[in-house]
Amino acid sequence: MPVIELSLSGRPKSARVVGIDLGTTNSLVAYVSDNGPAVIRDKTGNGLVPSIVYYDHEQDRLLVGEKAGDRLITEPRKAIYSVKRFMGKGSADVQEDLSLVPFQIAPGSEQVIGFKMGDRVFTPPEISAFILRDLKRRASQFFGEEVSQAVITVPAYFNDAQRQATKDAGHLAGLEVLRIVNEPTAASLAYGIDKKDEAIVAVYDLGGGTFDISLLKLKDGIFEVLSTNGDTHLGGDDIDNRVIALVISQLESGTATGIGIDPALFQAIRKAVIKAKHDLSERDSSVIEINMGDSGAYRNELTRNQFEALISDLVERTLGPCKQALKDANLSPEQIDEVVMVGGSTRIPLVRDRIKELFKREPHVELNPDEVVALGAAIQADVLGGGRRDLLLLDVTPLSLGIETMGGVVAKIINRNSTIPASAAEMFTTWVDNQTGIDVHVVQGERELVEDCRSLAKFTLKGIPPQPAGLPRIEVRFLIDANGILTVSARDLRTGQEQSVEVKPSYGLSDEQIERMLIDSFEFAEEDVRKRQLIEARNEAATIMRAAEKALADYAAGLIDEAERAGIHNALDHLRQVLGGADHQLIREKTNALDTASHHLAEIIMDGALVSALKDRKASDVAEG
Amino acid sequence: MTEGVIRAQKDFPDTCLCCGAQSTGTHFCSGCGKILPIAESSDHFSFLGLPRKLRLDLSELEKTFYALSRQFHPDYFMTASEPERQASMDRSSMLNDAYRTLRDRISRVTYLLTLEGYKEAEKKAPPDLLEEVFELNMQIEELKAAKKLGDADEVTEARLALENALAGLNQKLAAIDQRLLVLFEHWDSAVDRTAAIDDKKRVLDGMSELLSHRSYVRHIVSSIQEEL
Repeated sequence: MPVIELSLSGRPKSARVVGIDLGTTNSLVAYVSDNGPAVIRDKTGNGLVPSIVYYDHEQDRLLVGEKAGDRLITEPRKAIYSVKRFMGKGSADVQEDLSLVPFQIAPGSEQVIGFKMGDRVFTPPEISAFILRDLKRRASQFFGEEVSQAVITVPAYFNDAQRQATKDAGHLAGLEVLRIVNEPTAASLAYGIDKKDEAIVAVYDLGGGTFDISLLKLKDGIFEVLSTNGDTHLGGDDIDNRVIALVISQLESGTATGIGIDPALFQAIRKAVIKAKHDLSERDSSVIEINMGDSGAYRNELTRNQFEALISDLVERTLGPCKQALKDANLSPEQIDEVVMVGGSTRIPLVRDRIKELFKREPHVELNPDEVVALGAAIQADVLGGGRRDLLLLDVTPLSLGIETMGGVVAKIINRNSTIPASAAEMFTTWVDNQTGIDVHVVQGERELVEDCRSLAKFTLKGIPPQPAGLPRIEVRFLIDANGILTVSARDLRTGQEQSVEVKPSYGLSDEQIERMLIDSFEFAEEDVRKRQLIEARNEAATIMRAAEKALADYAAGLIDEAERAGIHNALDHLRQVLGGADHQLIREKTNALDTASHHLAEIIMDGALVSALKDRKASDVAEG
Repeated sequence: MTEGVIRAQKDFPDTCLCCGAQSTGTHFCSGCGKILPIAESSDHFSFLGLPRKLRLDLSELEKTFYALSRQFHPDYFMTASEPERQASMDRSSMLNDAYRTLRDRISRVTYLLTLEGYKEAEKKAPPDLLEEVFELNMQIEELKAAKKLGDADEVTEARLALENALAGLNQKLAAIDQRLLVLFEHWDSAVDRTAAIDDKKRVLDGMSELLSHRSYVRHIVSSIQEEL
């Protein structure tokens, strides 16, 4: 348990901001303690919460993390994993992914994917919200008070829609998301916090589903991102899929008819493959074993050489973005002082070798690649919570922002790798006489044509007073905030009036949809609230009990009369009796009774402490005088 | 992407958010110390407290950028009032835009020209390059044709010719940059001695023309690089 400053009445002090790494495979929550950033762990010391959500419609049961993971093989249709790959995407974007997972997609998933689980449909932000809520609960239990503010990390190469989807997930989980922070940048904070020298650092982040490379300059507590690049669709999952495909083909060639791979068997294969992958980071060979019940068993050796041959092109695919990032920052590999490895997939020896070759130096692997992002998020949370002002992150936007012009050509208005917040103002006018509205299409990406870029949103400038063509002058201001999320505002330059802008996001949830989901989530929340209240009540009771026991042991207890001492003992006994029960109100009642009974004694002790403190001071004054 | 909030009133330059009075402070109110909304009239040079000159000490510029970032960044205004948060966002984004524009000498001079009322420099061939351009286009076409036919020898030959041409073009670019730097010096001294408008205009015209040449040559270079 952390050291929390408590008054004698046991009320915890101000609200905390936590840092959350919402990962493809695992998620974590961390905070900054007096000894620096730390991951919040469960009783067994485990900090990782597998990003898996299980939902049983008939029993209206929701499981998150390890427990949900246990169901992947027994009830694969009711569990969702790797949901991060679906954030901010429409069904057309994820056809390939969908062919590899047993998830059922609901109709109408063009703009936001809906996963069918029983009779219910959940969107990726909702599934992510279940994970976030679990982390929130973990943190709230840990602190004994509700945690409601967080910093959440995303891959640096996430686009606007993916960032917004992550923010929506936080909102749905009852968290105020103070900031969306890029994962490699967060990692650099955790890594560079104690470094005093100026350095250029490359953060290579290969996680479960995404890849990022960021180059940063660290100087006097400023973490300035120089360039970033990546692939939001490249990670450990892709590596697993290569090996899974191999196993499936071997299984099918072993039978005359070919086997239909059912979801449960697929999960069993996936589990065995992931285990072998982990083994191969330590050893030269591993055995993949799958028990297929009546159909027998699969058992095959996989050597590290075979494994590397299967995945070498995936590793190779990370090098292009690295080179582009170097070029964008106008740096050569020799100018990089440190290379920091982040993400579980950087445990793979082949990955380390290739990066060592590219940057011509030994990469740092001493930090736990699974935890470093969450630790950095906690540091940023501390900065935003007002805990420290010596650190400052200056991040960039990963993708260029543009608007559609004549012939479907993109006019770039904010270039990639621009430090955020970044803004641009564009002037719009009308094409025909008395035109009262102007349509604007905003895209993100590096390509020349609109069809090759990612559509962000379309909006209409409305209510323009009828005038001859070309006369109105509407200034539209595009602002990418510190979260990397775009805001648009417009002004009629002739009147100085704020112009109405109606934004239709191309992907993602509307405000109305989010409101509806918030209401939906209450049915799950009610039980959560009850549990949390009980935990909070027990935590507070424990604090008061400790204080009372300590007070009774104090010499000052001899200063109060027998009846008063008996009263405190009585109140202690009563509280002990109800502490194990589930009635949080009863616990609170008895806690208050104990607090009242011991109040007088606590005062005497406080006075005594004051008197002795004063005595000490006098003694030292005399000594100095 | 979300819809924008109503922005802070921008018609009055640097009016303090709390006293409401016009302030004499830069960025922050000299009276109450609160962050000031952005003035419409501010340009990148004046925003950073710099004279409108072209030769810049980049490490000084970085220092200013870091120091102002520490003062403006939204991270430090999380609990401030809404107008202050907006002012912090506006000032940060303006600071970032200003730093990005001024730290690179080409975008710096391009920006100066816009401030001085020049239109964006259009691509224009330097006179000494006109003859070469025809030849270059031929060579590019030859390489394309050779590639199509899959004639390895022809491809190597055409490639070699283009690589030579590329080296020559890069030298031209370096020469243009050298001449630009000389004009930077002229401009700065014209600013220092508050020279006559005509004198300044001559320097600006010169720089504008060099930029046109530069973007023309760079265009050819990139089309050759694409083909190689």
